[in-house]
This record gives sequence, structure tokens and C-alpha cells, in this order.
Amino acid sequence: MTCIQFPSKVQSKIQFLVVFVSLISILTGISLAAHADVLGDVKKKGTLVVGVKDSLPPFGYVDEKSRDIVGYDIDMAKAVAKKLGVKLELKPVTSANRFPMLSEGNVDLVIATTTKNPERAAQVDFSHAYFLTGQKFIVAKGKVKTLQDLDTARIGTAKGSTSEKNVATSLPKAKVLSYDDYPQAVLALQQGKVQAVTTDEAILAGLLAKMPNKDKYEIPDLKISDEPYGIAIKKGEKGLVDVVNSTLLEMESSGDADKVFAQWFGPNSAAPLKRTFKITAEK
Amino acid sequence: MEFINSIFGLDFSVIRDNWLFFLVGRYPNGPMGGVALTLTLAVGSVFFSGIGGLILGLLAVSQRRWVRWPVNIIIQTFRGVPLLMVIFWFYFFLPAVFGKGFPEISTVLIALTVFTSAYMSQIVKAGIEAIPRGQWEAGVSSGLSRRQVLWQIVLPQALRHMIPSFVNQFVSLIKDTSLAFIVGVSELTHVATQVNNRTLNYPTEIFLFIAVVYFVICSAFTALSRQLEARTTSANANR
Repeated sequence: MTCIQFPSKVQSKIQFLVVFVSLISILTGISLAAHADVLGDVKKKGTLVVGVKDSLPPFGYVDEKSRDIVGYDIDMAKAVAKKLGVKLELKPVTSANRFPMLSEGNVDLVIATTTKNPERAAQVDFSHAYFLTGQKFIVAKGKVKTLQDLDTARIGTAKGSTSEKNVATSLPKAKVLSYDDYPQAVLALQQGKVQAVTTDEAILAGLLAKMPNKDKYEIPDLKISDEPYGIAIKKGEKGLVDVVNSTLLEMESSGDADKVFAQWFGPNSAAPLKRTFKITAEK
Repeated sequence: MEFINSIFGLDFSVIRDNWLFFLVGRYPNGPMGGVALTLTLAVGSVFFSGIGGLILGLLAVSQRRWVRWPVNIIIQTFRGVPLLMVIFWFYFFLPAVFGKGFPEISTVLIALTVFTSAYMSQIVKAGIEAIPRGQWEAGVSSGLSRRQVLWQIVLPQALRHMIPSFVNQFVSLIKDTSLAFIVGVSELTHVATQVNNRTLNYPTEIFLFIAVVYFVICSAFTALSRQLEARTTSANANR
């Protein structure tokens, strides 16, 4: 084995430099903060990076044939990118990591079944609601008639979701088990580890449609909250919020919003729902 | 395949239908993923952490205290933090230093490399310290510098002793690539979760399949390094 032979003084300086540089880079990194104006950045780099769910049909999931991420949320992302005239890049996020990713600038927008609520609105800015649903339960057929039937039940949901919070408020005695994602909660339901899975009806309908023994389960008409979904944008990015909002309103007036809904939730879809909302500037 | 299906009541058609997705993820329309990405991460981090471990290990046994101490502090820090944390931490730390759009794959590669290098350094340190002091003394008294003794006498012997521990660490590293999923990098485990969450009905089949894939990759790597080890020891015997 050979090595480059430095005079020992030079060598010791090199060693010092290596140690010094690595220490400095660790220390400085912590204090550096990201800067503002996401809209300008997006236009400059020509790419809009959107955080989406990649495991949640029909909002965002990987299509078996094309191996691409598709879904209702993705169509919304496409519309915003088209409006801006930039390319779209999709990044998978989870309920737990989507807000850190947004605040750190890893993504420009989060379109990931994110419920608008005042608590979150203090952290991020929201667009108008682009989807409206309500939180319900999947349970074994015939077992649950009223909310009292779930009073002391074990209930599965996903980490970091509003579903997790809502169910703790409306059923304080129930034991809430938070899984990484909803499909794991459904698996737990099938294995009897939980008696119910709770989240937004639109997601539940998609999950129920995929369950192997779906005729044994149902979604009773017990709504514990309204869940308007908004597109989340880093706090203070007014320019981007305006573009997103005008995109959404244009989609509603042109009928595109209806078409997108029909594609993913229409009568021929896996999880048919009725469109009971319009995208307006009020919500 | 039919045979296995009928015995255990499993249905591996989900693997067949998503074969390409398991293999390369969304490539070429999207980023590379699946087995291809797992292998890329494994090969890359094995290579870099081999080098990194050697450098850190050598610095950790340096005679100069101002080199040894900070290096040891860095090593102890990374050894005392779960890898999941290291990945998550780097994920938010690196873009802050190098600007937005720092690719996730590089983040994971760097996190795996730094973490594993810290462990490897201890193997290197132990390997060097295991060589009897008499060899150092003999080398120095025959007129060699400490550096020459290290590179020409101590390291060649020590490295050979380290190989089994290296392989052990690398096998562990290959499996650790599965933790990349937490930052949304679509390596094999993440891809499997995506398919599982879409199909919902075949968790046993899917996770059995990826367990086999990890087993095959790790076994292949171990077999390869056994051969390498055998070759270096026989080359030594012939010398």
C-alpha cells in the first residue's frame, strides 16, 4: 500500500483543516435559515414541487400500469402547474412530515388531503377548500348504531391527522391507535386489533372498496366533523396563495373541477361519492 | 409458484403485476426506485463509508490530541443517535446548508455514510490497536517514520483482520437503506408499502417477497466478500 507523503507539518495542517471544516459546516448549518418568495423561485427554476400522498387512493396513489402517481390531489397539482406554466414534480409526503417539508422548502405546495383548521392556519396558509368531506368510521356491519357504541372502543387512524385529534375529542374514553397510514389501520380492523377505523368519508370509501371482505363492513352515518381540504402553502407567501386560489376558482367556473371529481369519485369509480360542494372564495 | 400459492393460500400475482415497479419504481417517467435504488444506495454508501470509516478511524488513533478529541466526539455523537434520527436530521439540515432542492437520495446516502463511518471507525481503531506495540517499536527503531510503520506494516495486517467486521457492518448497512422511506425516497421498502396500500389485500405476499429480496442481496454480498477475503489471505500466504 502506498500513500502520498507530505512533510509532517503540512500533514498536520491538512488534518487540522479536515477537522475544522467539518466542525464549522455542522455548526453553521443550524443557524442558516431559508429565505422567502416561493413563487419567484418556482418560476425561476421552472418546476413546481408538490407534496402529495402516494398511498391513498383515490387522492394520490401509484397507478399499476403507468407506475406514476395519480389521483384527485394530483390533478389539482397539475392544474396549478399548468396555470404557472411550469413543470410539475411530485414528492410523496405523509400526514406526519408534510408540514415540516413545507416549512423547510422541500416542497412548494402540499396537496395531501390536508384539512383546513384554525390551528394549522396559524402555521401555514391555506387555499380555498378544494374538497369537502366529513369524518366517519368503518366498522363491522350492524355493530354500531350510535356514537355511544364506540364509546370505549379501540379506534385506528393515522398519525398527525386531524382525524386523530377529532376522535379524541368526540370519544374521549375510546382508545385511539395511530398508525403510519390508513391502510395499516384497515389491516388492524380486519385482524380485530381495532373495532373501527376513522377518517374522512372520502378516504374511508376508497379503503372500504378495496377490502377483501367488504360486505362485512360498513360506514354508518355518524359524522363527527366537517373536513374541508385545502392546499397548504408556506406562511406569508401571498403571491403563491393568489395563484393557487385563482386556479381553483377557474377550475370551478370552467367545469374542470366537476370533471376531476367525476373521474375519481363518479358513479363508475371505485368509491362513488356525491359532489356536495362547490369551490368558492368563502371556504 | 402455483404450488406455493395452493399450499399457503397466498396469491403472488400482485408481485407479477407490479414487477417492474418493484424493480425500478417510477423510472423512466419519474425518479428511479425499488430494487434498483436500494442497490444504488447500498453500493454507494458501502463504498463511501469504507473510505469514511478508514479516515475517521485513523484520525481517532492520531497521536495529536486536538485531532483525536473532536473526531472522537463526532464519532460518539453519531453512534449515540438512532439512524432514523440521523436521516431525518440530515434531511432538514443539508438543504439549509446547500440550498433548496438538495436531492433526497444524496441526503440518505450522506446520512448512511456518516452513520456507518462512525461505526466502521471503531473497527479500524480496534484493528490498529490489536497489532502488538512491539511492531511499532521495531519499525521506528529500524529508522521508519510512524507514518511509514502505519501504512506499510500495521495497516496491511490490521485491514485483513478487519474484513469480517467490515462485511458484518456492510450487511447491516444494506438493510439500513430501508430507513430511507421516512424521507419519501422510494427504495424497495417504500415501493412495497405503496403497492400494499393500493392493493390492501396482499401484505403477506408483498413483505415476504421483499424480505427474500433483501436476503438475496445480503447473501450475495457476503458470498462476494468471502471470496475476496479468501483471495487476500492466500495472496498473503504465497508472499
